[in-house]
Amino acid sequence: MTSVPLPSSEHAAGPSDTGPEQEVALSVRDLNFHYGSHHALHGISLDFPARCVTAMIGPSGCGKSTLLRVFNKIYDLYPGQRATGEVLFDGRNILEDSINLDMLRARIGMVFQKPTPFPMSIYDNIAFGVRLHEKLSRTEMDERVQDVLTRVALWNEVRDRLHAPATGLSGGQQQRLCIARSIATRPEVLLLDEPTSALDPISTARIEELLDELKEEFTIAIVTHNMQQAARCADRVAFFYLGRLVEVDTADRIFTNPRQKQTQDYITGRFG
Amino acid sequence: MPHERSHIVSSFEQELEQLRAMMVKIGRIVEEQVSLALRAIADHDEAAADEATRLDPDVDELEREVEGLVIRLLALRSPMGADLREIVAALKITGDLERIGDYAASIARKAIKAASSEGHISLSGLRSMGRLVRENLGRTVEAVINHDAHQAMEVWHADRGVDEHYVTLFRELVTYMMEDARNIRACTELLFIAKNLERIGDHATNVAERVYYAVTGENLPTLRPRGGSPDTQGLGKR
Repeated sequence: MTSVPLPSSEHAAGPSDTGPEQEVALSVRDLNFHYGSHHALHGISLDFPARCVTAMIGPSGCGKSTLLRVFNKIYDLYPGQRATGEVLFDGRNILEDSINLDMLRARIGMVFQKPTPFPMSIYDNIAFGVRLHEKLSRTEMDERVQDVLTRVALWNEVRDRLHAPATGLSGGQQQRLCIARSIATRPEVLLLDEPTSALDPISTARIEELLDELKEEFTIAIVTHNMQQAARCADRVAFFYLGRLVEVDTADRIFTNPRQKQTQDYITGRFG
Repeated sequence: MPHERSHIVSSFEQELEQLRAMMVKIGRIVEEQVSLALRAIADHDEAAADEATRLDPDVDELEREVEGLVIRLLALRSPMGADLREIVAALKITGDLERIGDYAASIARKAIKAASSEGHISLSGLRSMGRLVRENLGRTVEAVINHDAHQAMEVWHADRGVDEHYVTLFRELVTYMMEDARNIRACTELLFIAKNLERIGDHATNVAERVYYAVTGENLPTLRPRGGSPDTQGLGKR
């Protein structure tokens, strides 16, 4: 064990936090995660308040992406990877084997670092996931596609080529399409793993603006290496180091006056 | 405030050091201006008065340089945490120090005027107030240089003594004026000097508050313990 100070769950939901009335969408309790013999997450306890953006920051290998991947159980695909503890979502521990993965992934959407459009038309990229979970008429599906494309500010750019291959879009457009695809199944939580690291500044700004709008409806957890991005987008920021949660607080507090020295060293660029 | 570790980007660290060096420089000049002003009061030293005024443009120039560097650091380095607090504090502290320099130059000029017209007015009260202000300013500048929150808080409390001196001096000078109308001209100049010294004390406490915030991330209380004002100390009730 290293001597990284681990805040208690009380501290994680401390006074400058979200307040007692804040509804919690995801609640992590004493989560441990192993990649085979490697202990990647150590006793993480952290709440994700509903309709807030929570950013996870920390140096590479600190466990922030691992945590994101636990939330929609991607690790289930790989033998030897296991999670213990609790991740409470809508009153259930999603780590239980009895959880329906298709349903879970429809309710907790994920967007990756690199845009991952399906090799099909723009329209079908969105309709594909919806068809798995809902039976919609043609008109209803058209409306759904238009609705989500409008919400990610892509509609005006693609309305005349909905049936063209999605791979013909620019990187920024592809990423917005992926976000549209994620929200088309009407999830409650949106997980974003460095969603703008492959994008130019204008596309990045558009995604950030989009997050600001989406958080009115969705709970958003974002992993980012860009601290300015965390400062701009997040309501709350959690700092991870060596698989431990060092500190979680409002973005304002974390970036102006963090409580932990390790956080201070990291955000001011004095780490290591 | 100074980190145990250096910034990974060494040019950022160098710019922070440059900013700190500029703060030392401006602090020392302003201290010198106040010392010269006090010499002008005590010894009617015209050369000292001239020198206090002559240093003013240097302070103004340094203030502009600090402002330029701060803007550049904010734009290019996106500072966070203690760096951000230090950089913003530097900008505000420089503004207060520049005002202190202005007051010192003004005191020096008035001291010479008062000297040419004073009658039998004792300057001991003013000298003692000046010493306290100078001492507090010196400790404030040390707090800036050493990023010393404890020292900053001490100076912040010590300004109460300056306020008390001002109230006493105000009464004393009013008494001189009532005794002999020929004292009015000199006493008026001396009153302005006392008021300017009191303002220097206030700006020094502002600086102390900034240092405290930059170092700790916490604000001192909005209300500072004060030594009272002439209006509340029974003046005019005679």
